[in-house]
Amino acid sequence: MMEIRPVILVIEDDPHLRMFLNTCLSGHGWTVVTAETGTDGLASARSAKPDLVILDLGLPDMDGVEVVERLRKRSEIPLIILSARNHETDITQALDVGADDYLTKPFSTAELVARIRALLRRALQRPWGPPRDVFQAGELKVELTRRKVFLAEREIHLTPIEYRLLTALIAHAGLVVTHRQLLNAVWGPAHIEHSHYVRIYMGQLRHKLEADPARPRYLLTEAGVGYRLCDED
Amino acid sequence: MVSAINTLSRAPTSLHKPHRRVVGYFWGLAATTLCTLITWPLRTQIGPANILMIFLLGVFFVAIRFGRGPSILASLQSAGAFAFFYAPPIFSFAVSDTEHLIGLAVMLIVAVVTSSLMEALRSQAAVAAQRERRASTLYRLSKELAGTRQEADVIAAGIRHIHAEFGSANTLLFPNAQGRLHGPEDNPLPNSLPEMDPAMAQRVFDKGQPLGTGTDSDSEETVLYWPLVGSERTLGVWVMALPANRSLSTEEQTLLDLFLHQIVQSLERVRATEQARCAAIRMEAETLRNSLLSAISHDLRTPLSTLVGASGTLAEDDGHLDAERRRKLVRAIHEDAQRMSDLTHKILDMARLEAGKVVLNRQWYALEEIIGSALRRMRKQLGNRPVAVDLDDGLTLVYVDAVLMQQVLVNLLENAVKYTLEASPIEIRAALSPELLTLSVADQGPGIPEEFRHQIFEKFFRIHPEAPQSGAGLGLAICRAIVNAHGGWIRAESRIGGGTVFRLDLPLTETPPRIEPENEISSLS
Repeated sequence: MMEIRPVILVIEDDPHLRMFLNTCLSGHGWTVVTAETGTDGLASARSAKPDLVILDLGLPDMDGVEVVERLRKRSEIPLIILSARNHETDITQALDVGADDYLTKPFSTAELVARIRALLRRALQRPWGPPRDVFQAGELKVELTRRKVFLAEREIHLTPIEYRLLTALIAHAGLVVTHRQLLNAVWGPAHIEHSHYVRIYMGQLRHKLEADPARPRYLLTEAGVGYRLCDED
Repeated sequence: MVSAINTLSRAPTSLHKPHRRVVGYFWGLAATTLCTLITWPLRTQIGPANILMIFLLGVFFVAIRFGRGPSILASLQSAGAFAFFYAPPIFSFAVSDTEHLIGLAVMLIVAVVTSSLMEALRSQAAVAAQRERRASTLYRLSKELAGTRQEADVIAAGIRHIHAEFGSANTLLFPNAQGRLHGPEDNPLPNSLPEMDPAMAQRVFDKGQPLGTGTDSDSEETVLYWPLVGSERTLGVWVMALPANRSLSTEEQTLLDLFLHQIVQSLERVRATEQARCAAIRMEAETLRNSLLSAISHDLRTPLSTLVGASGTLAEDDGHLDAERRRKLVRAIHEDAQRMSDLTHKILDMARLEAGKVVLNRQWYALEEIIGSALRRMRKQLGNRPVAVDLDDGLTLVYVDAVLMQQVLVNLLENAVKYTLEASPIEIRAALSPELLTLSVADQGPGIPEEFRHQIFEKFFRIHPEAPQSGAGLGLAICRAIVNAHGGWIRAESRIGGGTVFRLDLPLTETPPRIEPENEISSLS
């Protein structure tokens, strides 16, 4: 049986980077469609029906955040953004309006491929698969139906907020979640500016779930952007 | 226009005069009455001549205290009272004795002479007091001006003092590059003048001569335009609006001149200082640019030659290169590209910090989290190297820019990795006191010679510039810039037992936010 090759749309204005992404992603068995500008990219997103979009935030014709917004209006297609480091504000904005993950330039091929895989996997689960009832990564196991958390088979007691924070991260396992998104999911829109809430509870959660909270294995910090729950063993 | 001028409470003597005069005349009458009352019971014991003396005394006191008018009144009344009560015939204003007539005349003369003497004395004292007051206001102005460092402070002090002295609303106009005057752009200072005639000010500025408007009596206020004549050119025009019915005496004009002279001198002083400072900054920027250029040319050209050479070889290869050789070239390209990427980041970071435009995005972060994300970013370079992390309380919240503080730690860890052996351990420690967070990163490398411990934080400084592991010499300079931006400081010390400790102190000035107990929040949602 012939495998269906997922289609990846790359919206990037730099020809070399576009070429590199094309070569690298094709090499991993994905079909690559490229676009140079935001306008072209939005058109291709309609015509080529990609399974995932990689979008450079610094495009010549349009604000990258606007491209994200317009893509999101139409579909839930997985979306990874590329940006220069030191542009945390832009990254956070793009994530808040619906981008799924980000990479800062220069990035390694391995990182990019890992992100694409995580997103494609999640996209497959989302519409058809049943909601996840168990999350497992390494020694961490969360039984979502029974609301129980285990670390190396030992049950860990979490407070309601800690548990909600953990489940909000599980919903996007492997992907970055911004402070804003976590605040909204756990505390509600009224507390959206209280980003220290997230940090305080994340600290507590790390002390319960991590062997060495200063070197977390599961609950990773994306400085200036948010958090990522590591879902690899 | 008048309403803009603060109410004036100067020249109190003129305001109080009518009242004082009434009081004076009252005392004139009272003194005579008193003398009459005192002397009446004694009229049998003492002679009329002595009674006259007592009246004289009363008149004398009134003359000293209340001046001419009341004293003349008192002397006339005393004369009447004496004539009526004491000079025979008693109970009649007729005076029979010439002796008493002389006495009464003397009394009148004493009253006039004493009171004029006293008045002259008083006005001299008033003039002296006013001079002293002016000298002291001038002193206060120059004292305050001497302490100013900025033009705006000089102007503010000048306006305040001139307002206090003359009650005027003031403004200061400076010329632009074309010599056209323009008003202050900032918010008006207290006691500043909202409106004036720009054409007039310009004329004063061009001619360098003071002018005034509305000096005629029927106008509401007087506006004076005084040029601020500096040592080389006219600096600007001082415009002052005096309140209604107020004009400057010659003496006041001299004082104003002195005031403005002081202000001009201070303006010239702060401008000269500012120019010197700008020149110093320009020179420093020039030096920075030069050293940046030399660093860039050296540190970027080396990897660039590899990139260009190796990739060119691969591009032109027509099958002569074996697989091993190609792999080597590709690896060289990858490594040098990585090196260039790191360098570019550092140079850009430094340039951004140097530009002084860094706005810290300070938020409350758990210390542990910042250290954790730095360790994670360094995980490849750290490999299996033992890194001990010792935190008093990792959950302590610190108010920092997390991205930048993480950069500090990454740079320090990079340094430790670069200059120590592969398995050499690194320790990260945090100690908290109520006012200070001390973070340290210690390695067991060769250590830093005493004489370089300050220099290593300078931009582009490298102890061994040609050593293969040397970067651009920016890592520690970036650390220092970031730590300083947080109000802290960083230093290098030698570690007991060998190696280097980088210690950074961050003052904890803010109180951490309190978070509501969980049950309250969870019950809400």
